[in-house]
Amino acid sequence: MVESENTNSIIERLELQVNSFQEGFKILSDSKSLDEIGEHFTHLLRGNLLLTDINLFYRKNEKSEWENLFISNNNSKEYLEYLKISDTFYLNYENEKKYKVYSTIRCIDNSYFGLVIGSKIDQSEFNSVDVIALQIFVRLLENAYQSFVARIKEKNLIFSLNHKVLQLNSLVDTGIEISKLENNTQLLELALERAVALTNASKGIMRIMRDDRVIASLRLPNTINIAEALKSTDKIETTVDYKGYSYIVTLIDKESREGTIKFDETDEILLSAFARQVYGAVENRELHKEALENETLKKELSVASSIQKKIIPESLPLIEGYDLAGINIPSKEVGGDYYDCRVLGNGKVALIIADVTGKGVPASLLVSTLSASLHAYLEMNIPLDELAVKLNKLIYQSTPSDKFITCFIALLDPDTGEMNIVNAGHNPSLHLKKEKVLEKIEAGGVALGMFDMGLPFNSQITKLEKGERLLMFTDGIPEAMNDSDEEYSDERLEKFCTDYCFHEANLFVSQLVADLRSFTKDTPQSDDITALYLIRK
Amino acid sequence: MVSEFNLNSEVKNDCVVINTSGYINNLGGQKIIDEFNSHYQNGVNNYILNLAGSKVVNSIGISFLIEVIEKLNESKGKLVFTNLDPSVDKTFMIMGLFHYASKADTIDEGIKLFDSKE
Repeated sequence: MVESENTNSIIERLELQVNSFQEGFKILSDSKSLDEIGEHFTHLLRGNLLLTDINLFYRKNEKSEWENLFISNNNSKEYLEYLKISDTFYLNYENEKKYKVYSTIRCIDNSYFGLVIGSKIDQSEFNSVDVIALQIFVRLLENAYQSFVARIKEKNLIFSLNHKVLQLNSLVDTGIEISKLENNTQLLELALERAVALTNASKGIMRIMRDDRVIASLRLPNTINIAEALKSTDKIETTVDYKGYSYIVTLIDKESREGTIKFDETDEILLSAFARQVYGAVENRELHKEALENETLKKELSVASSIQKKIIPESLPLIEGYDLAGINIPSKEVGGDYYDCRVLGNGKVALIIADVTGKGVPASLLVSTLSASLHAYLEMNIPLDELAVKLNKLIYQSTPSDKFITCFIALLDPDTGEMNIVNAGHNPSLHLKKEKVLEKIEAGGVALGMFDMGLPFNSQITKLEKGERLLMFTDGIPEAMNDSDEEYSDERLEKFCTDYCFHEANLFVSQLVADLRSFTKDTPQSDDITALYLIRK
Repeated sequence: MVSEFNLNSEVKNDCVVINTSGYINNLGGQKIIDEFNSHYQNGVNNYILNLAGSKVVNSIGISFLIEVIEKLNESKGKLVFTNLDPSVDKTFMIMGLFHYASKADTIDEGIKLFDSKE
């Protein structure tokens, strides 16, 4: 089989081949693919051992089949059965057979090379040098493959690390980008795109649900059939609930170069992170919107407050034989309460209290309209019931249908104490007569601006005798609430009027407010508190 | 929203321009490399990958693009990406694609890059 040669001769011949081994290793190591390794290896053997019939096979593992890597002769496949899977390297020499050498080489990743070699060109037997050289080339093949696998692993590792960096970076970027988007649909689309791309999902669906009903959905790609796609068993899902809406994000069919694979833990973490970002962005936007609205409201209230301050008199006129006091404490939202007292050209005194529906600037502007037109009409000396009709028409025509004014007007003759009164849907004023008899003045008609049907306003004449009092007020007083949701009430107000007959109107008003505060305690004031109190001395 | 992947190609000034639209994933990447190979086998070495219609790409799609780049590196060819969406641009930068391929704002500017090297 193998010729016996002396050791020195073998060494000498192998020394001559050293360069060839070195060069061979370089060529094998530079191979860029498995096919190239096979091709280079067989070329090296052919050149160094004078062989033509060299066949190299490869199998990924013990269970897989042999694949052709480089085949010189198809007949060599008959010898595959001789290629035994073994943990130890072996080279078999069978000089009697057509194929003289066969070997199985186990690689670092548990894959195998199978080598089947035919006769030498000169038909000579494999000598000692051939055997050693062959063993060296097989080892070179093994090392080159090891180097090739290491390079692939390194490449995959770099790719994987880069992908992790990309995922983290994209997570941060997406958070910033979606917070800048004004449009909710764009925001959700972007989040879905990023979640799909970064998890290598093949498809993505976002369903927006309310009361178990899908009210909108997004899909990527935009041509997929949502019902069909959701049937996939390879999917991950997360749900974000916000203000009664459920945002369900589903990622479907994770891709690999070989086909579909299972989503892993990282994918679920990423999906959850994207969902939290969407939640945060939507919530931040809502909070920002609310803050802007509050700011606008604050400004509006400030304007309303300044309008109201200008309309309500800073001081009331002094009326000989009378003591008059007024108060207006606006609520936080600034309502449309108004009072005034004006001495007219004919010597009579007009006492007015009114309450406009609504709050803020619109209510203040309406009060302003009422104040201006009332003053103009009062100076025209027209009867109060006619004045009320004119005011009603004016307010009706200049305001929306849901805006109206309740108003109580008393036209006092200071000399006689006679009062001509009209009440347009306002709370009855309280007339405290002698012997502490309290009379409610109901006179009048509907609120101003409510209807334009020519409904009459019936004025009433009454007289304020010496020592008698008149309290005009808005509903902010009897309807003031405490923390048990109880109202101050008309009854308590009426009792206060009869129980406390202070000599000064100012004192009465301040004590009334104090009583109101002791009732409501820390409960925030929800409506304006407005009153006018007149005492005939 | 992002559509299914599609591509077409044209030859301009000795280079092949591959225009894509839609999600560059496994399917999209495979179509790109198939298109590339059909021209590469005929000896074309200069390519423009115009991604104007593709603003979403996953890592499987990127692995196909790397394959294209590797093949062109072996044959001393060149690949230029054009009309990149900012997020795709950043993705390619992080994944290291611009170490071995170039980018340009438009196809015409991409073609100039080939001219300037030749």
